[in-house]
Amino acid sequence: MSRPVSSSAALPIAHVVLRILIVLNWLGGVAILALLVVSPNAQWIMAAFKLSPSPDTDRLIMGMRAVAVLGLAAIPLHYIVLKRLLAIVETVRAGDPFVAENADRLQAIAWTLLALNALSIVIGAIAKAVSTPAHPLRLDAGFSINGWLAVLLTFLLARVFAEGTHMRDDLEGTV
Amino acid sequence: MAIAVKLDDLLHDRRMTLTELAERVDITLANLSILKTGKARAIRFSTLEAICEALTCQPGDLLRFTPAQARKRKGVA
Repeated sequence: MSRPVSSSAALPIAHVVLRILIVLNWLGGVAILALLVVSPNAQWIMAAFKLSPSPDTDRLIMGMRAVAVLGLAAIPLHYIVLKRLLAIVETVRAGDPFVAENADRLQAIAWTLLALNALSIVIGAIAKAVSTPAHPLRLDAGFSINGWLAVLLTFLLARVFAEGTHMRDDLEGTV
Repeated sequence: MAIAVKLDDLLHDRRMTLTELAERVDITLANLSILKTGKARAIRFSTLEAICEALTCQPGDLLRFTPAQARKRKGVA
């Protein structure tokens, strides 16, 4: 049973923002891919970052390549999250968000966020391992309590949606 | 469903149509139709009370439990 669609501006805004983020995510993927294509040219990287040839520099470049590969792996994961969020927003706009598909979508988002947080820890560890006092590699990656809290909350929300869907199904058969 | 709704019989006995009952108990015709055809999964006490009042009957006159159907549902021979 559909309820009146909310007149709040949040939903159209969320719809547009998510669509923009999907495009930006793919553009980010293209940028990382381009970086990976040019990264075998160590001379170019050394010139760009003003690095002097040394074993530490080789390690730093290797680390940057590894981070770029992991960053590329994060692109489809971001897409999974954004695409499912967009689908959830669409069901809210249609006035029928408590459906089993949304519980499944939230569950998928939770697992993907878990993978992204794990990836962030690996990226942070690589950055720390290859950083030197002369050439520090500072990345916004690593363990984040907020990120893991978001994973937990999304798993809980998926469960809430599953229960909500079940309750609504029961209510629909009630006279 | 092992619970059968005898709304049809009660309406026939009282020479009343489903539409008339819907007007008296203030429940939509669609919902009463769901109840009559046995498609309802649950019935509110308020609905039961309104129907019993309109048809001057007891809840037992409206509902019947069929053990054979219940066994069939549970897969017992």
